[in-house]
Amino acid sequence: MTRSTTSQTMAIGHMLQVSGRVILSLPFAYAGTVILLIAAYFMRPALLSPFLLLLIARQAAPLGVAVLGQSLCMRVLSIDLSIGGVVVGVSYILTSGLLPFPDPVLLLIAIVFGIAVGLLNAFFITRLRASSVMVTLAVTLIITGIAVAFSQLRSPGDAPQILRDLVRIKIGIVPLALLIWVALLIPIALFLRKSVFGRYIDAIGANPRAAWVSGIPYVRVVTVVHVMSSLFAVLSGFLLIGFVGVGSMDLGRDLALNSLAAVILGGVTFGQGKGGVFGPTVAALMLTFSFNLLTSLGLGEPAKLMMQGLVIGVAAAAYSVQRKT
Amino acid sequence: MISFDKVTKRFGSNLALCEISFDCAAGSVHAVTGENGAGKSTLMNLLAGIFPADGGEIRLRGEPIAPERPSEARRLGISTIFQELTLLPNLTIAENLFLGREPMRGAMVNRRLMQERAREIMARLGSSLDVDTYCGDISLADQHLVEIAKGVSVDADVYIFDEPTAALNAPEVEKLGALLESLKAAGKLVFYVSHRLDEIFRFCDRVSVLKDGRHVETRATLSLTRDELVSLMVGRVLSQFFPARPTPAESAPVELGVRDLQVVEAGPKVSLALRAGEIVGLAGLEGQGQRSIIRALAGLHPSMAGEVTKNVAGEMKLLKLSVVETVMAGIGFVPEDRKTEGLYLPLSINQNIALGMLPRLSIWKIAPTGRNLIADLMLRMNVRSTSAGQEVGQLSGGNQQKVMIGRWLAAGINVLLLEEPTRGVDVGAKTEIYGLLRDFAHRGGAVLVVSSELLELLGLCDRILVVRQNEIVAELEGAGTSEEEVMQYALTGHAKHSQASPCLN
Amino acid sequence: MFELIQKSRRSGLSLIVLALPITLFILLCLSSSTFTRFENLANVNSQIAALLIASLGQGLVAISGGIDLSVGAVMGLTSAILVTVDPALAVPLALAVGVVVGLVNGFGVTLFNVHPLVMSLATMTVVQGMALAVHPIPGGTVPAFLRTMAVSRFAGMPAAFFWCVGAIVFAWFLLNLSRFGLRTYAVGANPISAGRNGIAVIRHKVLCFVLCSLSAVIAGIFLSARVGAGDATMGASYSLDTVTAMALGGVQLAGGTGSVLGVVAGVLTLGLISNGMNLMGISPFLRAALTGVLLLAAIGFQRRETIGA
Repeated sequence: MTRSTTSQTMAIGHMLQVSGRVILSLPFAYAGTVILLIAAYFMRPALLSPFLLLLIARQAAPLGVAVLGQSLCMRVLSIDLSIGGVVVGVSYILTSGLLPFPDPVLLLIAIVFGIAVGLLNAFFITRLRASSVMVTLAVTLIITGIAVAFSQLRSPGDAPQILRDLVRIKIGIVPLALLIWVALLIPIALFLRKSVFGRYIDAIGANPRAAWVSGIPYVRVVTVVHVMSSLFAVLSGFLLIGFVGVGSMDLGRDLALNSLAAVILGGVTFGQGKGGVFGPTVAALMLTFSFNLLTSLGLGEPAKLMMQGLVIGVAAAAYSVQRKT
Repeated sequence: MISFDKVTKRFGSNLALCEISFDCAAGSVHAVTGENGAGKSTLMNLLAGIFPADGGEIRLRGEPIAPERPSEARRLGISTIFQELTLLPNLTIAENLFLGREPMRGAMVNRRLMQERAREIMARLGSSLDVDTYCGDISLADQHLVEIAKGVSVDADVYIFDEPTAALNAPEVEKLGALLESLKAAGKLVFYVSHRLDEIFRFCDRVSVLKDGRHVETRATLSLTRDELVSLMVGRVLSQFFPARPTPAESAPVELGVRDLQVVEAGPKVSLALRAGEIVGLAGLEGQGQRSIIRALAGLHPSMAGEVTKNVAGEMKLLKLSVVETVMAGIGFVPEDRKTEGLYLPLSINQNIALGMLPRLSIWKIAPTGRNLIADLMLRMNVRSTSAGQEVGQLSGGNQQKVMIGRWLAAGINVLLLEEPTRGVDVGAKTEIYGLLRDFAHRGGAVLVVSSELLELLGLCDRILVVRQNEIVAELEGAGTSEEEVMQYALTGHAKHSQASPCLN
Repeated sequence: MFELIQKSRRSGLSLIVLALPITLFILLCLSSSTFTRFENLANVNSQIAALLIASLGQGLVAISGGIDLSVGAVMGLTSAILVTVDPALAVPLALAVGVVVGLVNGFGVTLFNVHPLVMSLATMTVVQGMALAVHPIPGGTVPAFLRTMAVSRFAGMPAAFFWCVGAIVFAWFLLNLSRFGLRTYAVGANPISAGRNGIAVIRHKVLCFVLCSLSAVIAGIFLSARVGAGDATMGASYSLDTVTAMALGGVQLAGGTGSVLGVVAGVLTLGLISNGMNLMGISPFLRAALTGVLLLAAIGFQRRETIGA
């Protein structure tokens, strides 16, 4: 090889390296979405019609709302796996008919229930310093165990009319559910960027020990985060129940895992103090789109699971390698 | 036996070791000394296989070596007694002594043989500890003894003792001396890393002095006087380094009052007062309770009893000792280990300093950006960086230290508690940090410093409180006292003239 | 008693850990006439055997400072393999799968520095997906020789008894007598110190994960053989149950503390609760809820340094 071509290939290599680094420094969700859209263009172009895309976006709304909470948790080095449990609990409260109250009261009870779960999680995680994964898994076990045991006695009925309307209404061609999601997203992103709370979340994520030593109200921040996460889960449950129309104990089963995958894909990593709200949001859209793609290709539940796991594992590994270098 | 040839080591942008070259002979005890941060431990860690050198060569009997792992160093015949304990608290003394080279009988650990040999080893050091006790259950001094026992029980040609006496009491230091003699007699090379002059002159044949990562000189100890060695280590006139002390103002108000503070169960009680405008130092030997006292005031160490009051607008208010409360009351704490406890390394300088401005705000409020304040502070503190958006993790030690102090200056606090304010900081930045602290005091703040560098306390502080066994045994004028006097109190707890200072810091 | 507290630095045994199963046993003896029947006790033994085998593996990982949530999925995949692959190849293939999963977990945690919870959650999901892909609907027949090994009796004792004893003896040898065990405690207590003592920390941790996955494979083999059919989701509850057994048995998830006796006590506690509720006719779903409550209580008592994951 002559000298000039060597230097040329080196220059190209360098360019590739630099652009590679830029792409790697963005949340994987961005690149992933592009790749998926290209794949869909060649394999199932029908998925790319505006009508279907809006439908998929609507379908992504419950996950997207849950992801907001999960991303907060992970930014303070915690994890919330009770999201699915909360949804099951909400579904039971709203649809079992066991509680003889009008719908608005039931919705309120569901919200109070969410706050209670968040406080319980936070109590164990901050005061007793138990592992957040363990705590939230245990809480999920308890809620679903009780709800399923009771649903044996009395099977769940129809969803409240408000929720069914909520997801059916469209403004122009845009579904209301999607608007609700966006309406939550923007103020929260702004709040996290500008508020004391947001700063504290970055600090705790970057170095929890230093946050403790320099007198940041650690316990309060983590508690608020977990309550918020549970509240988002309640809202996510509202949307899901609205979609399905009837209560179900299977609702939200893979919500916790999907939200975890979305947050990792969205660029929030343990111990970096970095990560925003938009990365995970794009990741939620991307995951939902990919599930639709897989289904349209005739692949079922197993393929979905394998993809989820691979995404979580590979993304988490890639981020920590990146952090080391 | 060992020669260093232009050995160089970098940590990020920090040059920790720069072209170190000297030789060491078998059958001798070779001291490696210098101030904190001079690079002693870094040099020894290269030999111990903790990390590789970036340049130069280390030769063992003329053969170049580059151990990549502690186990590899051990195979080469280099045994290290680390400064930080490497004992496992959940293993017994015997198990700890033989961890990684357990005597086996078939597939099983030969416990009886292990215990027997452990007993022999401990007896050689004159210890009668039961070798079946868990290491987490014995005192810190005993743990250090076990650590030493572990190091010398390895059959090696080169032994590295990294600050072995930091936690030992006088009789154990004697035993260590005898041990060093026997190793020397057996034709081994012993590296003795220490900055205690007394021990260097008593135990060591030759001494290599490092300063700021460079090799200053290697000499036979017999050819040196104590003063010569100190000047080699310090290499400068001290008075130039420290800002001038203003004349003490007796009338200044007390900012922080401490009465009968107890930091260990059933321990002695500590009382002190910090006045506006003064810098007070807590001196003493390693592990005598200075750290517990300052951390108790910061709300990070539990206090058993006592009362702490803080001046709030001219009125002394009782303070609850929790981190959140103390920060709210206007007390800032700068920990020794800035990487794990002090800074948010992945965050920018801006973010790190701005966090100081938040404690008195509700978490739901909009946070001030404080751009002007931060720019001002960075200028005043002379923080060298590409921009205020640079990650703190990329800064040098001195600049990181300034950012940490800057966070509290931005917070508008008036009591500053510092642990080892200049650890791992280059000389230039040290002077600047001393200047910053003096300036803070001059503006009406009160400063309490814990440092293991006695020279630093002597140069910087208005008053020095000497701590021994969790008790304040003396209060000395910074300008009027001497190393000897402070060490006398630190070692014995009372004033009675003895011949010389046994320790530099 | 003082002796016990002294030794507890490593074993994690406490009065509660040991008293809990004993108290439960006595309570069940008193409250149910059928409990003490040999048939029922043999049944309890068979019910807990799989959990015990999997928990001993989990214990090893926990002592080395990790956690493995993929054991349940590995059990499911094992079950799926047993009923779909040629009987002669089934067991070796399942064991090979165990080794691979363990290696992935171990390298993910050590070389790639991923939190063990996140890592094993990822492998759990992938392996569960694979199990469902291999064998979507429960059914099929387990090789006959395995079935014999799991359900027949020797010398009047149920086969499960021998599986349990074998697993306990092996784990006990490994942890208490071998060099490997000693080093596992060291690595779990402080990997940096252990490394400075010349222990190959990464290799050791990876090996712990591999052994844990292998024990999950064996647990899966036993459980499928006992049930007599393959079920890809058979192990779903086992990941959490093993962790609950750790917490109940005084095994610190932070690493460095735990014992075989503790794991056995934890598994017994869980098994006796299940059996008791069964005898009293309580819904199995409430049993899951109770496991959750127990887990919450047990980890609530294990105060750690850090807050979070």
